[in-house]
Amino acid sequence: MTGPASASGARLAVLLVGLGLVVALVAIGALFLGSARVPPGDVLAVLTGRVKGVDQVVVLSLRLPRILAALLAGGALAVAGAGFQALTRNPLAEPSVLGVSSGAAFGVIVAQVFGLGTGLVEAVGIAACAFAGALVAGAAVYVIASRGGGLPVHTLLLAGVIVGIFFSSAITVLISVLDFDRLGGVVHWLLGNLGPIAPASLAVFAALTAVGLWLVVGQARPLNLLALGEESAQQLGVDAERLKRRVFAGAALLTSAVVAFVGPIGFVGLIVPQVLRMLLGPDNRLVIPAAVLGGGAFLLLADTLARNVVAPAELSVGVITAFCGAPFFVYLLRSRAPQAGL
Amino acid sequence: MTRLLAALALACLLLPQAASAFTVTDQTGRRVVLPAPPARIVSLVPSVTETVFTIGAQDRLVGVTDFCDYPAAARQKPSVGGMISPSLEGIVALKPDLVVATTAGNRHETFDQLARLKIPVYLVNPVDASDVLDLIARLGRLTDRAEAADRVVAALRERIHAVSARVAGRPRPRVLYVLWPDPLIVPARGALVSELIALAGGDSVTADGGQGYPRYSMEAALARNPEVILIASHDATGSPLVRSKWERFTQVPAVSAGRLHTVDGNLMHRYGPRIVDGLEVLARLIHPEAFEKAVLR
Repeated sequence: MTGPASASGARLAVLLVGLGLVVALVAIGALFLGSARVPPGDVLAVLTGRVKGVDQVVVLSLRLPRILAALLAGGALAVAGAGFQALTRNPLAEPSVLGVSSGAAFGVIVAQVFGLGTGLVEAVGIAACAFAGALVAGAAVYVIASRGGGLPVHTLLLAGVIVGIFFSSAITVLISVLDFDRLGGVVHWLLGNLGPIAPASLAVFAALTAVGLWLVVGQARPLNLLALGEESAQQLGVDAERLKRRVFAGAALLTSAVVAFVGPIGFVGLIVPQVLRMLLGPDNRLVIPAAVLGGGAFLLLADTLARNVVAPAELSVGVITAFCGAPFFVYLLRSRAPQAGL
Repeated sequence: MTRLLAALALACLLLPQAASAFTVTDQTGRRVVLPAPPARIVSLVPSVTETVFTIGAQDRLVGVTDFCDYPAAARQKPSVGGMISPSLEGIVALKPDLVVATTAGNRHETFDQLARLKIPVYLVNPVDASDVLDLIARLGRLTDRAEAADRVVAALRERIHAVSARVAGRPRPRVLYVLWPDPLIVPARGALVSELIALAGGDSVTADGGQGYPRYSMEAALARNPEVILIASHDATGSPLVRSKWERFTQVPAVSAGRLHTVDGNLMHRYGPRIVDGLEVLARLIHPEAFEKAVLR
């Protein structure tokens, strides 16, 4: 056993270094690009502390936290997607497809209706409401879709769509009884809003994401065994129920942290793990850790596009990910899903 | 006797026609034909409701929306629901002889449905400050309060001129107006707030960024070094927390100079008579030096 394990360990190390370089490149690009048109020399000068003034605000207070938030959110969503896919043994499972994002979004809006604002303690409260919403939505999908101990692929997707529609309608109801003036912000937030995030909020976001990653990434090997079927996994010493609860909680936590701090962004959890699987094969020990960096790089790239293509106006990052994600979903549905036993 | 009867018959024939002469052209240029001057009006527009109260025609107002919250007395009127999907049943039950609606905020489906129900609709579409004054005068003629409305318009015009005179010839500070903080939404070309800022002697730094009220890049807004930052307050956004978010950016001139202010968004965004209150608020914040006591004398 040690032979293949150490070989895959070496492969993982190379992979993570490579992806780390990709992340670094995209992040550097994102730091230099923006509608404020700060000259590259000035960006460097700000980074070395030689320039103060508005350029410093733009680079250090706006671009840098936003880059970090995009990396966190992308990594979280990709790992949540990989987790849900392993859990349901369904290549199309993903937080937004499963309705879990909508559940979390509903939780956030309920929290706001009850007056939770933008303070630090309140942010934790909003994240808790998002987590509750995600758990309820995820559990509902599971209950609706489960048939004789299994989760048929199509039933799961339909259950996810239905639960998603239900929570979206509930959000619409809340929005229509909210003050008209508050509508603008909510509508943009629902498409994903990687805005200027305050350092304290970023820290809370990072902490929640870390817990979620710990819950999922550590379970890559048992998730590989789960792919053989629950019974086989049990025989190989995996406590399948405990594993499923843990990964589900982790993926729901990652989803709800992202929804609470930057809004529901779709399809990252679909595209990134799938592309990684095409490149690396189905081994979760490679795919899940790689998804942390790959997801971050993808979302950062999407957000850098979103804030530059129509500058000085901005697009919602969710528009970009959906543009890439929807055709990709169709491709997977046509090519990959049949292999998954449809 | 027969003559008298004939005359009466003639009068009966002519009277309804004579009354049907009440024809008006609404703000979008549509002809609206009414049997008589409207006595039971439903307003689907908060700014129209405000205007009707301002010109003293509120007795003719029988229905408003949930968003018609000014003046306080407007809340006493029966509501027909929201602006986007008002209750048609609620409107019909009020037996209105005219519904006033806006092309910006109400839906065309609503106009069509009202037309099918044979309820006349008067459409408004104010874009800039002069449209607002024009609308006040129109609503005055519509409600038989033309003189009162003209007095209101004259007084508002005078106040606008007074502001212009006060700020004329002064340097124009760069102003960032924040309609919504997160994501940043600002007034751009063609937005009423952009015009009010210009009238108040300021230069809106986002006036060139697209049409209406776009979502805007925070760094682009700050890179233009705004000297005054005005944050519109809504329910949730007027809190000190939103201010503190901006106060972090001490390198921005507006923040370092302590010129970060919260303003009442309802004064700036509604196309009613209160825009002049809004203009005066803006002018005092953009040119406080022009309103000091020494200057006032």
